[in-house]
Amino acid sequence: MKKVLLLYFAMCLSLIGMAQSNEIVGKVTDESGFPLPGVSILKVGSTVGTVTDIDGNFSINASSGEELQFSYLGFKSQVITIGSNRELEVVLEEDVSNLDEVVVIGYGSATKRELTGATAQVKGEAIEKMNMPRVDQALQGKMAGVNISTNSGAPGGTSNIRIRGIGTFGDNDPLILVDGVIYDAAGLNALNPNDIESVNVLKDGTAGIYGVRAANGVILIETKKGNLGTKPRLDFNAYYGVQQTARRLDLLNAREFAILKNEAFAAGGQALPFNNVELGEGTDWQDAVFQESPIQEYNLTVTGGSEKTSYSIGGSYFAQEGIVGGPKANFERYNARINFTTEIAPKLKFTNVLLFTREQSSTLPQGGIGSVLYNTINAYPTEPIRVGDRYSYLENVNDIINPLAQMENAYNDSYVNKLVGKEELEYAISDHFTWTGRAGYNYALVDAKTFNPLVWYGPGKFANSARNADLDPVLVDVGGLEIERGANVFESRNTFLDYNLETFLNYNRTFADLHRVKGMVGLSLVGNRSEGLNGTGFNIPNNDLAFADISANQAPGGFLNGVGSFQSRQRLTSAFVRGEYDYKQRYLFSAILRRDGSTNFGPNNRIGYFPAISGAWVISDEPFFNSGAIDFMKLRTSFGVSGNDQIGLFRYRGLLNGSATYVFNDLIVNGAAIGNTSNPDLKWETTYQTNIGLDFSLFSNLDFTANYFIKNTKDLLFQPDVSALLGAYGPGGAPPVINAGDVLNRGVELELGYASNRETGVNFSADYNMTFLKNEVTAVPQGFEFIPGAGFSVGGNVASRFQEGFPIGYFIGYQTDGIYQSQEEIASSSVVQAGAQPGDLRFVDHNGDGVISFGDDADRTQIGSPIPDMVMGFNLTADFKGFDIGANVYAALGQEIIRNYERQQPFANQLAYNLNRWTGAGTTDTHPRLTTGATRNNVFSDFFVEDGSFMRLRNVQLGYTLPLPVSQKLGTQYFRFYLAANNLLTLTKYQGFDPDVGSGNPLFAGVDNGIYPQARTFMAGLNIKF
Amino acid sequence: MKKIYQGLLILTLGMVTGCDSLLDIDPEFTQDAENFFNTEEDFDRAIIGVYDMMQPAYLNMWIGEIASDNAIAGGESVNDSRGLHEIENMTHGGVNEELRAVMRVNYTGIARANYIFENQENVDFEGKEVILAEAKFMRAYFYFNLVNYFGDMPLIVDRRISINEITNAARTPKATIYEQIETDLEEAMEVLPWTANETGRLTKGAAMAMLGKVLLYQSKHTEAAAILGELIDTNQGGYALFSDYSTLFYNENRNVSEDVFTIQFSGLQGGDYGCLVCLNGNAAVGFQSIRQYDGPLYADGNSYNLPTQDLYDAFEEGDIRREATILDLEAFIAAQPNPDEITYAIGGGGHTGYYNNKYIKRLNERGLPDDDLTSPLNYRAIRWADVLLMAAEAFQRSGNDDRARTELNKVRDRVDMPEVNSSDEALYQAILEERRLELSGEGFRFFDLVRTGQAADRISGFISGQHEVFPIPQVEIDLAGGIWEQNSGY
Repeated sequence: MKKVLLLYFAMCLSLIGMAQSNEIVGKVTDESGFPLPGVSILKVGSTVGTVTDIDGNFSINASSGEELQFSYLGFKSQVITIGSNRELEVVLEEDVSNLDEVVVIGYGSATKRELTGATAQVKGEAIEKMNMPRVDQALQGKMAGVNISTNSGAPGGTSNIRIRGIGTFGDNDPLILVDGVIYDAAGLNALNPNDIESVNVLKDGTAGIYGVRAANGVILIETKKGNLGTKPRLDFNAYYGVQQTARRLDLLNAREFAILKNEAFAAGGQALPFNNVELGEGTDWQDAVFQESPIQEYNLTVTGGSEKTSYSIGGSYFAQEGIVGGPKANFERYNARINFTTEIAPKLKFTNVLLFTREQSSTLPQGGIGSVLYNTINAYPTEPIRVGDRYSYLENVNDIINPLAQMENAYNDSYVNKLVGKEELEYAISDHFTWTGRAGYNYALVDAKTFNPLVWYGPGKFANSARNADLDPVLVDVGGLEIERGANVFESRNTFLDYNLETFLNYNRTFADLHRVKGMVGLSLVGNRSEGLNGTGFNIPNNDLAFADISANQAPGGFLNGVGSFQSRQRLTSAFVRGEYDYKQRYLFSAILRRDGSTNFGPNNRIGYFPAISGAWVISDEPFFNSGAIDFMKLRTSFGVSGNDQIGLFRYRGLLNGSATYVFNDLIVNGAAIGNTSNPDLKWETTYQTNIGLDFSLFSNLDFTANYFIKNTKDLLFQPDVSALLGAYGPGGAPPVINAGDVLNRGVELELGYASNRETGVNFSADYNMTFLKNEVTAVPQGFEFIPGAGFSVGGNVASRFQEGFPIGYFIGYQTDGIYQSQEEIASSSVVQAGAQPGDLRFVDHNGDGVISFGDDADRTQIGSPIPDMVMGFNLTADFKGFDIGANVYAALGQEIIRNYERQQPFANQLAYNLNRWTGAGTTDTHPRLTTGATRNNVFSDFFVEDGSFMRLRNVQLGYTLPLPVSQKLGTQYFRFYLAANNLLTLTKYQGFDPDVGSGNPLFAGVDNGIYPQARTFMAGLNIKF
Repeated sequence: MKKIYQGLLILTLGMVTGCDSLLDIDPEFTQDAENFFNTEEDFDRAIIGVYDMMQPAYLNMWIGEIASDNAIAGGESVNDSRGLHEIENMTHGGVNEELRAVMRVNYTGIARANYIFENQENVDFEGKEVILAEAKFMRAYFYFNLVNYFGDMPLIVDRRISINEITNAARTPKATIYEQIETDLEEAMEVLPWTANETGRLTKGAAMAMLGKVLLYQSKHTEAAAILGELIDTNQGGYALFSDYSTLFYNENRNVSEDVFTIQFSGLQGGDYGCLVCLNGNAAVGFQSIRQYDGPLYADGNSYNLPTQDLYDAFEEGDIRREATILDLEAFIAAQPNPDEITYAIGGGGHTGYYNNKYIKRLNERGLPDDDLTSPLNYRAIRWADVLLMAAEAFQRSGNDDRARTELNKVRDRVDMPEVNSSDEALYQAILEERRLELSGEGFRFFDLVRTGQAADRISGFISGQHEVFPIPQVEIDLAGGIWEQNSGY
């Protein structure tokens, strides 16, 4: 409002100014050349001043030698001495370390100066520059304490966001609010990273304003909004890129394969499979499977504002095809959004946020045994891709199928239509009271279709659905009737609605210019409701995708067809209050209390209270503080309690959702059985977090933030094994969810930011962040030694565990100590290792009893952890004379990965490291002999665990911005084009496709089943403003 | 002004507590476990849940053979189902997934049966007695399994146990459990019909045979002879030996006159390795079939539970049961017109050249995918020949050699083997040997060897006083609060 008045005033002034003789005229723009309206210009040492108009133009009377000061919120002030030039081009530089920058916190906002909690921010531009499909991918390495790992590099693949470590066995996702609307982590696919204005993460106990959902931290994302009194501005951004695999595995070629297999079969006492080993290179299955594929995005936004209304309206299209599968691993997103704010009556502001998204995706089997890449790795090179007019069968390995045939038969599509919005009223009751009421909703309609044609991958393949190579259907006997079971199609339509209704009152008053008091009290109702219907139709005509719809099914009598449905709802009611006080903005205190009631718990434990307190001391404001170098220094501390209720619905009660089926009269009949066992005393997990932090700025261009935190999560919600006596292990049965077990996360976070002064001509900024984290399980439920996690190999041992005294999901197995070189060495060894032969791995007798025990845990020990000791990010930008470069580096150090993509089968292909196998005394002390006979070399040991540390150049970009006159000639205000590469370089010792191996389940983290790797992408793009 | 604040405060507090009523929501379209058994249909549905828990019979089919002199574990490698390999070598200990599964499956069956008894008074209807009788039979069957595997085990009857009671659940002496088993079976026997209205439901004949077996396992020979004799003499179920032993285990001969107590399976529901207890198919069959086999008659499988040379050699030449029981794969292939085109693989978990030819995947007997797991072949827990041989043994041990020979020779006659004419100890030994020849591959051998005292002689590595029962999984001891003492020797 004020700005608008000033603007009006400015226009008047400039009219008057026209008549003056010693008039200075000019234009103020930001660094990208965009005009800045409302910049105040003051003649130094006087009260004469003006402001820029809507086009950034100004005029003022001034004579040579006089100084003009230009200032604008969010930008560094600049003083210019008038010389002979009567026409000025002023470029204001954004103030990156602005302590007055407003940051969104829960139910309110605060300046950086005032913050008492530990937070981290990323601005929209930094996200935009990454050119990542999803915002979470763009956040990797951007903030200390926020660790992002990748579940899959496939288009539409998701990441895990973990704030300050892994606190629980269950749901570790933070609470994500986009413009105050709840998103789940997977739902971030709907958001175009280009539309994001800022991301703010609440990391410590002050996140407790969100109570029972805040234990994993809170991410507050704001999308772009318009500014009042600005001309419409059109932004067009586009890029097109080509993706390829960043790495291929070093596998055996046909000749090497034949030699090694002959050796292994001979050692196993079996006939040699290859009479002739001179088979050359053979088939390179990776060559056949990996392809180059496109990625592209186009984005158009209009922003602006009138006196009372501001808006940002835009649309975008994004498309990515897979480097495996191409269009069969595809993700497309269409976005349309309208954000506007208007003053509908004096003091009454209405805000609307609306986003419509359509996502289309296709997926291939990935990330596990039986995935396309798993088959690619294990397919042997002596088999051609095709035999005659069909794909080859790879008959020598039972459960490996031809990956190309597999891709051809995969039809797995989903369509998401999503409407996300918020309506908000803000009423300024008086100078000190503001009331806000809002309703948010996130509604998704998800359609999925999977077509399962009749397939034949060769004799005995588990994935066959046809009876034979002629694709004759299996015959099914239904009550004496023989029915053909043909191709089928599965279709589902599910809807998910998340909603929140919130009302809160803010109070803000400063007494005697010294004591400021802020208060907030509010209520909220958060809920979700989901429903779904699904069906399967059999005997799709002609085994053809063209008829793949339930309506086309030809199942005789409909006997084989199936239907299903689900519905669920949950609610959370909350009341919350926050009080803040500061004295001269030097001593700051804040206290929070939140009361939550969640439907996920029974009446015994439904209501929870979550308090938090925090305080800060701005040391640099003290009179005694006298350091020229240090501009600002603040010490912060906080303690808070928050919860986690994300355990699934109605787990406190026993429901008849178990499975009960038997066969009477040769037909399957359905009955009823108890599903999960009840626990009426179930309650939320509680996280107690203490944080101590220090912020300071040096030389006005160096910012430093450090945090130390202790995060103690207690009463973990999980379903540990229970005694067989409870009878919880029938089909559909599950043990009760209980509260037991504690996890401790401790860490240090450092953030360092540097921005050069503009005077040098080179604009340079760099920031670096690092997080040290130590994760430890400090208690497991009574009566349990550990909770088992991921399995190793097929039918093999449990490789990861949740166990007291160890990090979550640590790897347990046998430690090796070289290779037994000879029979004498085995005989003379002080340790008895049953079945050991020369060339076998020598295991360490961990308990020192002289025997390697394979039947129990006595000799198994920690051989790795999937949790990095340290992660860090480094971001760099520089520009000079229109050129700009940027780079982003991410590193995770100290974690291990289990190599679990090797199928331990006699004929499966193997990695080239097997060429270094033991072949006789003294040949190697690292790689065991190869044999098809019985051996313990394949039990889970550190032989299968690799150093997973890596450092990755995630993004590097070189851009050029046309000089303003040139771009204006092109009819634009700003014109930049750039070349960029994502994932250009990775430094790692890890042998697999991608060392960034994440998992949503902390007990499966770091287990690489042949992860779909992140692509290397080369892109060219444009940013244009009109 | 103050009043306004007060009003606001009251309003706020009112809204806070008022909102709590929004939390009282119930799950939709599903029943609560505490609000069930209100109609006859509820009881009908609950009893299916108990029947369901008999389907994980693959555990008995494997362990009963692999622990004995009949079979080795086999499989992909020695790490594939490691527990079975340890059982084969008599090196099993407190960490054994298969033994844990035995305990879980049987106690879940017991809990599902007890859930019915807990609510049996809720409603009355015609036919309730039959449902309760079926539940009693199955509870007896589950406890009988537990006693055979582990000896003394906690006895929980007519109610579900809560999580807080687990640590007080002491092991009940085996004899007490046997009393409960006998009571349950006797009561079931009184109510169950000779012929059920649906194929697959339990019958009076099944209950009598089961009771006979339970008595025989306790060496109560006179009582066993009485009940089994009565079953054979009255035979109102119309039981008889199936004429053709060589095709008895084909799916086309499911539910024939030889079936007394049979666990039913179907190939009509798909399944995966993620949940073996969820299957409606017979998981043992695919597991026991030939690895990567490509040829006539049979289909591929996982080469588990492979018969030994010792078993092969136990059959006399000319006994058709050898070929019906054991597949000599190389001989079979050699006899085909196209032996060169037939391929198969040998697993790293052991190889004997022999496969279980009773429960094996045949090309035309496959279920829906994954058909390694969905065989429709029923598992005959007690068949008529078993009844006759149990009767023979019970009569012989209680001094009636004549009757013993009669029942024994019925079994031998069916496969055209000469009559046995011996008496006393020789007759007893002949009966035991006949059990092996007749019933091998069906999961009974180990328990027969143990109860007749032959195990130490026949099983290498078997230690008397230890291996008669299996160890209780250590994790189950821990989960029960550590109050159970491990079985001796483990």
